Amino acid sequence: MTHKYYEFFCPVKVIAGKAALEHIPFELTGLAAKRPMIITDKGVRAAGLLDPVIAACEESGLEIVSIYDDVPPDSSTTVVRDIAKVYRKEKCDSIIAVGGGSAIDTGKAVNILVSEGGDDIAKYSGAGILKHPLKPFFVVPTTAGTGSEVTSIAVITDEKKGVKLPFSSSFLLPNAAIIDPRMTLTLPPHITAATGMDALTHATEAFTCMAKNPLSDAYATAAVKKISQSLLKVLDNPKDEDGRLELAQASTMAGIAFSNSMVGLVHSLGHATGAICHLPHGLCMSLYLPYVLEFNLEDIRGPLGELLLYLEGPEVYSATPASRRAEASISAIRKLRDALYKRCQLPRTLKETGKVLESQLESIAEMALDDGSIMFNPKEVSLEDAMAVLRRAWA
Amino acid sequence: MMLSKRLQPMIFQARRAYVELMFQVMGRALQAISEVDDITRNETRTLPVGFLFEMQVMPNGPKLIVEHTGDGCLYFHGDSAPRPVDLSIQFKHIAHAFLVLSFQEKTSVAFANDRMLVDGDVSLAVRMTRVLNRLETFILPKLVAQRAVKEYPADLHLPNKLMNAARIYLKVATNLVETARA
Ligand SMILES: [Fe+2]
Repeated sequence: MTHKYYEFFCPVKVIAGKAALEHIPFELTGLAAKRPMIITDKGVRAAGLLDPVIAACEESGLEIVSIYDDVPPDSSTTVVRDIAKVYRKEKCDSIIAVGGGSAIDTGKAVNILVSEGGDDIAKYSGAGILKHPLKPFFVVPTTAGTGSEVTSIAVITDEKKGVKLPFSSSFLLPNAAIIDPRMTLTLPPHITAATGMDALTHATEAFTCMAKNPLSDAYATAAVKKISQSLLKVLDNPKDEDGRLELAQASTMAGIAFSNSMVGLVHSLGHATGAICHLPHGLCMSLYLPYVLEFNLEDIRGPLGELLLYLEGPEVYSATPASRRAEASISAIRKLRDALYKRCQLPRTLKETGKVLESQLESIAEMALDDGSIMFNPKEVSLEDAMAVLRRAWA
Repeated sequence: MMLSKRLQPMIFQARRAYVELMFQVMGRALQAISEVDDITRNETRTLPVGFLFEMQVMPNGPKLIVEHTGDGCLYFHGDSAPRPVDLSIQFKHIAHAFLVLSFQEKTSVAFANDRMLVDGDVSLAVRMTRVLNRLETFILPKLVAQRAVKEYPADLHLPNKLMNAARIYLKVATNLVETARA
């Protein structure tokens, strides 16, 4: 008898496609929200990405009551408290987060404070602390990678204590995620590439790690297919709206997959590298993905081989003998990395980044062993194993 | 139909008794291996001193509480904590605890299968999971241990394992006696 058991949950309404932003007023009204606050960062505002959001609301007679555009790349408890103060002063009744991972996490944390009360966000850190639904909350992602619009997690830095506070509750999930191709149209090539590789890693790890399940599998494979078909196309033609939408949807689908089945060693190593060497998360994913798949190979041969169909299409899949498909999937990912390097110099090895010292590998390995995602890696990882993967990824 | 209904409370009782007993054995064994096994101590040494770890069956089921008393040593507190715990691993139901503690489901699989949840610092939970894996390889015959942990450590050779296991059993036994006396 099998002991296999799984859970799958995603109550986020996905509003995707051309003129999706124009649905925001209607959706807000549906939740009786009349005074939304926008939470975003300076980069998003400077890129003019707020304009279509504001215009869409104003045209429907819905006033954006307040805009906070100073979210830093690593959001902090102070920022969250400040925004909550503005929210209360302006008598807002809902939140629209526009941006990447940091703006979205900040939106989630602010929503806790303004819904539950108080000034101390640290009080709500941990799993399952929240017991009630929060205020209406919408997310408009401006990168196609993190999948934060469909995850029930937020991470906020407590600067005074120098620690990262995790928040986890299904009440953090937004009521709606608005995927509009206009929001990712101006994303620079190297960010498009790195965030695309983050989404590809979410899907690949969700599909090959221990908590995989039939529902998350369906999202993961569909996401891999969209990314393989569209990432290079979009880099060659950045104004390709259809391609941008494909990538944005793939990112959301990969987010749904991994938030239900978790990620593995690529993320453990990536989180550690991000913390120690301050490399962007998506780049770290791209650096480690093939080497971790090689390390896990014998434990994931079946599912990894299946991914070849979505990475390379039916012709290559059927022409490859079943016993070679897992290796062919890894080759396909390496080929994609080479193509990204050619188009926008996205580094393929730690050495190529120029920001990692060989002497730092040991501390990266040690830190990765304590990362939560390592629990879901299909193969047990020792310090020596982690070091071996890092050395392969070095040059 | 009626019979199975009448039998069920007995099964429930037996399952609960087994889980309670296993928590007792594990708690004492954790204390024991933290005194004799270097690999375990390397893991536990970096825990904060006074760190309280709990495994519990929700909502008010059996419990196991150990404390890091310093230098990697763990102290078994039985089922009551002297103060609020720092890290709690909670089984959602006693049936899930039974699956894991009767070694039918690996700890890591139980996490992956949403059988239990972590309350506290996840990185410390990862560390404690490694300690539990190490424990299982010590106190169980190899075949069963392979089922209980993702990978049986290659560096754990038989004589070494037997020697250590003997010392741990000895320690568990003395500890049980001491408790009985106390
Ligand atoms: Fe990621």
